[in-house]
Amino acid sequence: MNRSAAVFRETSAEPRTESVPFSHLSLELGHLYMEDFVEGPARLRRHFAAVRPWVDAARAGLGPLGTGRRPRISTCFLIDDYFSRLSTPAELIPPLLAAAADAGLTIDYLARESGCAVADPAHRDRAELAESVLHRLVESPPPGSNGFRPPVSRTGWLTNGRRAPARRTSAALDSTGTVWQPPSETGARGHSVFMDVELWNGPDDDRTWSCAFLASVWQLVRLGLLRDNGRAVLTPTPFDDQEFPAEWDALPPVLRLNPQAAPFTAYVTCSVLPARFLPVEHAVRVILDQVHVEAEALAQIAERSAAEGFAVPAGVVDRTSYVFPPGL
Amino acid sequence: MDGLGTASGPVLVCGEVRTCLLPTRDAVDERAAVELLRLRADERVRVSRHPNRHAVSPDVLTGVDCRLPTATGARSRAVGTVTARAALTEGRVLQATAYFSAPAAGPDRRQPWGYYLVRPGTLVPVGRLPGKALTEGFLTGHQPGELDIGSVADSLLARISRQHRILDHDTPLTTADTSLRWTAAAAADGEETSLRFTKAEDGLRIVELRLPPGTAPTAAAELCEDLALHDWLLTTVADKLDGLRVGSEDGRAVLKVLRPLVDHLLHLWMPQARVDGALHTAWRELERTPGYSRQWNALAQRIRDQLVLQNLGVPRQALPAR
Repeated sequence: MNRSAAVFRETSAEPRTESVPFSHLSLELGHLYMEDFVEGPARLRRHFAAVRPWVDAARAGLGPLGTGRRPRISTCFLIDDYFSRLSTPAELIPPLLAAAADAGLTIDYLARESGCAVADPAHRDRAELAESVLHRLVESPPPGSNGFRPPVSRTGWLTNGRRAPARRTSAALDSTGTVWQPPSETGARGHSVFMDVELWNGPDDDRTWSCAFLASVWQLVRLGLLRDNGRAVLTPTPFDDQEFPAEWDALPPVLRLNPQAAPFTAYVTCSVLPARFLPVEHAVRVILDQVHVEAEALAQIAERSAAEGFAVPAGVVDRTSYVFPPGL
Repeated sequence: MDGLGTASGPVLVCGEVRTCLLPTRDAVDERAAVELLRLRADERVRVSRHPNRHAVSPDVLTGVDCRLPTATGARSRAVGTVTARAALTEGRVLQATAYFSAPAAGPDRRQPWGYYLVRPGTLVPVGRLPGKALTEGFLTGHQPGELDIGSVADSLLARISRQHRILDHDTPLTTADTSLRWTAAAAADGEETSLRFTKAEDGLRIVELRLPPGTAPTAAAELCEDLALHDWLLTTVADKLDGLRVGSEDGRAVLKVLRPLVDHLLHLWMPQARVDGALHTAWRELERTPGYSRQWNALAQRIRDQLVLQNLGVPRQALPAR
């Protein structure tokens, strides 16, 4: 509809969606548990040495763009300060950066996992990102769903199909030969790989978000698909040659460590991760496949990438990719 | 989503609007309205203050994969999402709308869910859409197991009505809820925009629209919300005045009926406050026959005249009999 002739407008009635800058690729240089850090610098050096060749491969895979220009690639690393805090930023971060540098890698952006869960300390008025994403889940309907199902926010679990029906009697008592019904994956190819993902546990007012759910938020942040009331979220804070604080909460949720870095948010992501994270990332894909992101955010990306002649997959989950290298 | 009847757009938009009085004694102010309609923490409630106060919630999606209602009984499956949103007019009348757009055809098998989530509010048929049979079947009502978007609108109303901290559930007048079920297709070349409005029993209204090609599905939904709001107002006020015993000795009984109408409803009549200019023709037809505004003005005048008479305090018996 052509509304350009309107002479009267109300900003409160017309939501705006802030745009964010985009790299072509956001490359994640691995992920570690706090326990891994405790093992010392040798452990970190081993990590980045194993990651390095695959980073080169990912860069090479993107190749020069059709226009002959070099692709914009930014690197990032997510520190888990949500589930455990065994050390301080001042103790933990410098050896991490040094180990990456030893392998010839630069960490452009450093993020805290808590940033995906709790509200940004600099913007206390804003909603918690995880909570916002939870409200954006639109469950994939198993065949036969005609508009009536309990919402996911009541159960805290999300599946890629249909659960096995609950049984009234225990297996031992059930001698009547009631047939057990298996769960099923929606859209399975022949056989099901059914997954049921726990999104959080604990009481409603003090939830502990699951690793898989926070990792999904992390992917959406890197893809530049989240907004808070139209405003960009987790915008990187420049952090050049400063001392790292002794408290995690004193650190901005996303730091830009390299002033020359390409933008943090990117059209597509690639994460080089240890294979032990494979189940978590499978869960991430189940979650991402069921997140409804703002149409305007998608439209901005479609328009910008088309102008650059860079093909971005339509589906959100298809914009993510992984490498699980040996020896990591 | 592209416009109705365009090459990449839907061939049909179907929806249902529930209209009711907000379950609370006094109309809520803008702040409370925003709180009520804040269905998502990260998305704004849209508030418009002119020509009246009107707040609209963010859209929420419900995934469905089921048979579509068809008049012929033909089995037709569709997969996708139904959009639902709630609106509050002057903090007094609450509406919930659920609607979807449907393209003429879709892939022969269900796609990964992400395919549907980047087409919010679209139900993609598996194969061809039985357009005409769907229009008829949808307007007639669904059979068990078929798409039930009324329940999507209902659950949104229920979700909002559960906010007991804001809502006291002590309404100043009793009113009946209405459901307006609608379909919109593109008008053919040279064909006028048209509207077929059927007032059925039990608060059900059925509207079949033919709109200019290119009309956005949201614009069609907004038109139907506007129709539903005014139909509800007219029905509610007309029902209250039906059989009003103005001849009774005690004027208080009459006042008891008229007062809440003046306090809560009379100022709400404002047809086409937010209807897309290209769709005004649809309203004009309704104004010609049966003449909604004409009837409303007559009812409003009658209420005011009665109140003046009550105020004069002249007992009816004191007037000379003719």
